[in-house]
Amino acid sequence: MPLTQALAEGKLTREELKTFMQRSDGPALRRLALWIMVLAGTTTLITLAWDSWLIWPAMFLHGIVLVHHFSIQHECVHYTVFRTRWLNDLVGQICGIIIMLPHRFFRYEHCDHHTYTQLTGKDPEQVPMPRSYGEYLLYLSALPYWKAKFTEVARHAAGRLSETERRFIPREEYATVIRDARVMLAIYALIFAAMALSGWWGLIWYWIIPVFLGEPVMRFIRMTEHVGRPSVAQMSENTRTNLVSAPWRFLCWNMNYHAEHHYVASVPFHALPRLHEKLRDHIHVEPRGYLGAHLDILRQIREART
Amino acid sequence: MSAKPWRDVIAVDDLERNWVTRVQLGDRLIAIYDTPSGIHASLALCNHGGADLCDGYFDGHVIECPLHQGAFDVRDGRPVAAPATRPMRIFETRVQDGMVQLRI
Ligand code: FES
Repeated sequence: MPLTQALAEGKLTREELKTFMQRSDGPALRRLALWIMVLAGTTTLITLAWDSWLIWPAMFLHGIVLVHHFSIQHECVHYTVFRTRWLNDLVGQICGIIIMLPHRFFRYEHCDHHTYTQLTGKDPEQVPMPRSYGEYLLYLSALPYWKAKFTEVARHAAGRLSETERRFIPREEYATVIRDARVMLAIYALIFAAMALSGWWGLIWYWIIPVFLGEPVMRFIRMTEHVGRPSVAQMSENTRTNLVSAPWRFLCWNMNYHAEHHYVASVPFHALPRLHEKLRDHIHVEPRGYLGAHLDILRQIREART
Repeated sequence: MSAKPWRDVIAVDDLERNWVTRVQLGDRLIAIYDTPSGIHASLALCNHGGADLCDGYFDGHVIECPLHQGAFDVRDGRPVAAPATRPMRIFETRVQDGMVQLRI
């Protein structure tokens, strides 16, 4: 395991590790309060732009925030948002409903992502390296992503799990995953029924269209984590840490420190910048941020084609 | 009656306070937990994917695995968070003359 390795190699002492791992509810509650204010702000922008074409950029902006519920959910998967364990489950489930990602299923899938990070054929979350600019743009459109997610939720709700899923979901939990997918679809059905009954279709504009508009941004960010890095087990090679500005760090809950997160997944978001200072010389860092990572990916596509 | 003898494993003073301490006992790795309700012990390697629980996060009575954050209650070994689903192997513990002893 990379953590045990890092300790053995003296990159991190046990005392430091212990300090970095400490959990508390305060930082996340404060961040969530700010989060809700940001959401209120982008929601207001949509309301203000309601009768003009400006509603589209407003929905896009709001969508960028909405798709970042993935970042909170991801952090909840690791139980590092709150010290109080059940709060992680609750908040994770809510985020999952916002972006249609059943929480427990994601948790199991994500476990294998941590075990087999970036190993082709084994890492269930691996985003393949695009072989052409066309493939690159197609991935960024989020169309393949949504196709996969809709198929996945429908398959689970129908009571079926794929071969790979049967490998990473513990047998005792098959039924839970199936029930979660059904509950999620039932919640969506209820929401639509309520909109139909009330005649108020606002959530389409405040939630659904923005999520679809914003998802390409999340795809853009998710690509920077591993795409273009080698398919090897060394954590120092297979993952990219991107140095990005404060608003992006706020939105992604510091998950731009991705290599640090993979080294020690038990370290909460608020301690990742400090962990970065310890590990920065032992990991792959992209100082130019998300854009730099994409320049690197595009360069690799170009070079592979010539 | 359990026939297994008590064995000294570590001095109480050498335990990490309110945390988990790793002990090698023969060819076995044991995790010793200092908790508000006393000292508990289990096998150190997680029964989900074999990661070393002694590098995990410990809070109260819950040890969380460093690899996938599966978690166990150290008092009875019960899994409290997925992907851990089976109880972990725990050992009877006592303190005698400043030494932590296990029945093992
Ligand atoms: S190895 Fe411990 S939870 Fe997976």
